Amino acid sequence: MQKPPLVIQHLSKNYGSLKAVSEVSLEIKKGEIYGLLGPNGAGKTSIISCIVGLEKPSSGQIHLFGQEITHNHDRQSKLKIGFVPQEIINHGFFTVDEILGFYSGYFGILNNREKIDSLLKDLQLYEHKDKKVKQLSGGMKRRLLIAKALVHDPSLVILDEPTAGVDVELRNSLWELVKKLKDKGVAILLTTHYLEEAEKLCDRVTVLDRGQVKATGETQGLIQKLTQRWVKIQYKGCVENIEHSYLVSKQKGLLELRIPSSFPIGQLFSELQIKKEDILDLVISEGSLEDVFKFVLHDKGENQNV
Amino acid sequence: MSSLTWIPFWVLFKREVHRFLKVIFQTVVTPLITASLYLLIFGLSLNIEVENVSYLAFLIPGLMMMGCLNNSFQNVSSSIVSSKFSGELEDYKVSVLSHQQIIWAMSFGGVIRGLVVAGVTFLVGQFFYYHSFGSFLSIHSPLLLFFFLVVGGLSFAKMGLSVAILAKNFDHMSAFGIFVITPLIYLGGVFYSLDKLPVFWQSISKANPLLYFINGVRYGVLGVSDVDISSAVVVSLLSLLFFHLAGLFCFKKGSFVRW
Ligand SMILES: Nc1ncnc2c1ncn2[C@@H]1O[C@H](COP(=O)(O)OP(=O)(O)O)[C@@H](O)[C@H]1O
Ligand SMILES: [Mg+2]
Repeated sequence: MQKPPLVIQHLSKNYGSLKAVSEVSLEIKKGEIYGLLGPNGAGKTSIISCIVGLEKPSSGQIHLFGQEITHNHDRQSKLKIGFVPQEIINHGFFTVDEILGFYSGYFGILNNREKIDSLLKDLQLYEHKDKKVKQLSGGMKRRLLIAKALVHDPSLVILDEPTAGVDVELRNSLWELVKKLKDKGVAILLTTHYLEEAEKLCDRVTVLDRGQVKATGETQGLIQKLTQRWVKIQYKGCVENIEHSYLVSKQKGLLELRIPSSFPIGQLFSELQIKKEDILDLVISEGSLEDVFKFVLHDKGENQNV
Repeated sequence: MSSLTWIPFWVLFKREVHRFLKVIFQTVVTPLITASLYLLIFGLSLNIEVENVSYLAFLIPGLMMMGCLNNSFQNVSSSIVSSKFSGELEDYKVSVLSHQQIIWAMSFGGVIRGLVVAGVTFLVGQFFYYHSFGSFLSIHSPLLLFFFLVVGGLSFAKMGLSVAILAKNFDHMSAFGIFVITPLIYLGGVFYSLDKLPVFWQSISKANPLLYFINGVRYGVLGVSDVDISSAVVVSLLSLLFFHLAGLFCFKKGSFVRW
C-alpha cells in the first residue's frame, strides 16, 4: 500500500513561552482535501511552516510519503511539496512569466513552457503574464502564488488562505482548480476563513483553537455529531398543549424545534402527538460547518473527535 | 541527480544577472561618474609618479577594483535584503535550492556586475589616459587581471551575502558598509602606495586582504605591485575560501524569514 502523503504526530511549536501549536496530530490521504480551520492565531500557519521547513518543530514528528522530514527536508521531499504562503510576495521588477520560469528552475526544470502556459490559463493569468508583479491586483498576486507552487507538479499541495482577498467568482474558479488537483490524486491541505466553501470542499477538517485540536474528522460526520437540526412546522391545529424538550418556540401556528442531527424525525412526531393532516408545511435545516465551529470554540471546550 | 545540481544554480544565477540588467543604466552610469570624478580630481591634478608610473595610471586599476568589489558586495546584499523584505527568500528555502547553490549563484551574479563596473571604469580611465598622454594604457597581464577581479569580486559578494542574511534590518547593512567596507577599501591602497606609509601602518595594512586584491589588479594592468604577486594570489584564494565558508555558516545561522 502507498504511504500517506502526510502524517503529523504530536506536533508542537513554541515561540519562546508561547505555545502556538500543541500536540497536533493529523493524517492526509492521497486525493483528499483536508481543511485546517480555526480563528486567527490558532496556529495554522505555524503548522504549515513546520511542514514546509520554514520553522523547526519544538517536538513531534512529520512524515511525508512515509519518510520522516521533521528536521530534515531533503531535496526529494521538497520536490513533492507545493506551498502557497499566506502572505503575498512582491517580486520587484520581474514579470509573471519570468517568475514562473525562475520557480521552475529552482525545482530543477529548465524548460517548462507547456506547464506554465496551462497554469497561466487555469488561473486566468495568461493575459497578464507580461505584467510585473507590482502591476497586478491583489487577487492576481494570490493566483500567481498558487501558480508558482504548482510549476513542479507536487503531489502534496499546501495552501495557506489561498482565497483571502479574492472575489467570489475567482474563489470558485480557484476551488475548481483545487478539485482538479484532487482528481489527479494530489493531496491537499488548506486553510480558509470561508467555512461554507470549506464545508463543500473538504473531505476532512481539523478545527484548531490556540494551538489545540478542538475537533477533527470527516466534515459531514462532524456536522452530524456536533450540530443540531432546525425543524419548523407550520401547524393549523391548536399549538397550546404541545410540549417537548426540544421545542424552542411556538406561536401563531409555527413550531420551532432544535433537535440533535441523530434524533429520528419519526420519533419526534410521535412524541409531539400532532396530527399529520394539520401540518401545512415542514422545513428541516441541517447544521453547518459554521455551527460546528461555533460549538467547539464557544460552547464546548474539550476535544471532539469523530 | 545532475539536473537538480545545475539547473537551480543556473536559473538563480540568470535571475541575479537579469535583476541588475533591469537597472543597467544605473549600473553603468554610476561608475562612469564616480571614476570620472576621481580621475579628474586626483589623476589629472596630481602630477606625480608612483612606483615609476604616472599617478593617473596608478589610480586606474585601484578604481577598477574598488568598483568591482563594491558592486559585487552590493548586488548580492541588496538582492538578499530585498528578498527578505518581499518574502521571496522564504521561497528559496522551500525550493530545492541548496545553500551551496544559492551562495555560488548569487556571488557569480554579483561578480558579473562587478566586472561590468570594472570594465566601464577601465574605459573611463583609458579616455583620461589618452587625453593626458596621447596613447592608450596597455594591459600587462589580462589573465591575472581577470583572476584578481573575479576572485576578489566573489569574495566580496560572499561577504555581502553573509552580512545580508544575518542582518535584521536596513541599518545593519549600511552600518557594515560605513564601518567595515569603506575603511577596508580606502586603506587597501587604492589611492596610495604602501611605501608611502610609516612602517607601523605598512604592517597593519598587510593584514587587509584588500591590499592584495587591489595590488593584484594593479599588477594585472600595470605590472607593478606593492606586494609579492604570488602571495597576492594565495591570499586572494584563501579569502575566497574563507568567505565561502563564512557564507555557508551564516546561511545556517541566519534567517530566511520575512522582515
Ligand atoms: N515567528 C513568530 N514568533 C512569535 N510568535 C509567532 C510567530 N509566528 C506566529 N506566532 C504566534 O503564534 C500563534 C499562532 O500563529 P499562526 O500560526 O500564524 O496562526 P494562524 O495562521 O492560525 O492565524 C499566534 O499567537 C502568533 O502570534
Ligand atoms: Mg495564518
